[in-house]
Amino acid sequence: MAEQKMVRFIIERQDGPKDKPYEQQFDVPYRPGLNVVAALMEIQKNPVTVDGKRVPPVVWECNCLEKVCGACMMVINGKARQACCSLVDKLDQPIHLAPARTFPVIRDLLIDRSVMFESLKRIHGWVEVDGTWEVKDAPIQNPYTAQTAYEISHCMTCGCCLEACPNVGPQSDFIGPAPTVQAYLFNLHPLGKFDAPTRLNALMEKGGITSCGNSQNCVEVCPKNIKLTTYLAQLNRDVNKQALRNIFDH
Amino acid sequence: MYHTSFYLRRLHSLVGLLVLGVVIFEHIFTNSMAMGGAAALNGALAMMELIPRPVFLAIEVCGIAVPLLFHGIYGIYIALQANTNARHYGYSRNWQFTLQRATAWYLVAFLIWHVGYLRVFTKGVTGTPISYELLQNLFTSSPITTVLYIIGMFAAIFHFTNGITTFCMTWGIAKGPRCQKVINFLSMCLCVVLCLITLAFMASYFVM
Repeated sequence: MAEQKMVRFIIERQDGPKDKPYEQQFDVPYRPGLNVVAALMEIQKNPVTVDGKRVPPVVWECNCLEKVCGACMMVINGKARQACCSLVDKLDQPIHLAPARTFPVIRDLLIDRSVMFESLKRIHGWVEVDGTWEVKDAPIQNPYTAQTAYEISHCMTCGCCLEACPNVGPQSDFIGPAPTVQAYLFNLHPLGKFDAPTRLNALMEKGGITSCGNSQNCVEVCPKNIKLTTYLAQLNRDVNKQALRNIFDH
Repeated sequence: MYHTSFYLRRLHSLVGLLVLGVVIFEHIFTNSMAMGGAAALNGALAMMELIPRPVFLAIEVCGIAVPLLFHGIYGIYIALQANTNARHYGYSRNWQFTLQRATAWYLVAFLIWHVGYLRVFTKGVTGTPISYELLQNLFTSSPITTVLYIIGMFAAIFHFTNGITTFCMTWGIAKGPRCQKVINFLSMCLCVVLCLITLAFMASYFVM
């Protein structure tokens, strides 16, 4: 019988939010089509390092396993991406896994991404439907912008763009590309556009769109291929117009 | 509520491109006269002396000193917001982003030396007028000075031309990826041309 091929994983682990990170290596039996989440499941079944030491299993987060939920985002071989669609066959070995340190690390590869939810609240990332007004039938989407809105609505708040962005991190207050561009999605909505000035003003606050430094890493790493830089430029245009309105309407 | 950082950031962008861009072009234009020899450069410098002293000083303060200090000091604050990562994300625009900050740091040090020595000390304190002979002596006597000056000019030119690209993004002028690529290509071409002109006029001090 042919010898079982193994895949070496070098994982950056951390026991708690305040603990020091350390590295552990694991060998996972290779099989065709193996992806990083499946490999992490193998490690969970048999958490023994290459030195033969039994250790607590590696903690990570995953959900849909089809690049839709965004939960399994981690740094794989130096780049932020979804673990579920990272095929071992297409990665350089040994495979390095690390948590996305732009976010607070809870344990091992598990991170706390709630900052993005706070940012979505900040940019008014919703459509006002309830109020004291009469509710009629839903208005139709503009057919000319529906394709764009659909594209931006694919955003799964995975955080790849924030991890790759040099201007997002503890050194900066930038809310990041994903929440910023969501403002454009809701500004395109036939009802959402009523709150466009609110969103644009929110983007003009400290840490808003002005913190973008045009490194354009976001558009390169977005797993959903959202044209983030295009919409950031559009929002820059909109925000500048809003600034003029603010000045001259005052 | 007053969006202070928004207006500061936009002012930083405007000042960099429109005010300091003119300063760079003026420097390259005047200095390129050195290629025509001592008489040509000294003639160009003498022409600037025709501007009345108080007006010239006002231009220097309002057109160079204040914009440069604002762009530099607020720029340091912006540069500190970045955690450059081109080692992991080696895309060309990310390298430009990294270089934009690296050149900025070099320029902070270089301009303190350049303005401090030539404008404040030589011209201001000792009262020696800037001339072809003075610059030729400065460069030919020390190869290190020449190299540091050439790097300084290259840094300023890259910082400015890359700034044209980011200006077009920041102001929403270039929206689509193709438009951004074309503008980036054109500004990098301008970068190369201006760097070659710089090399040419710096070389002229050594061959003549």
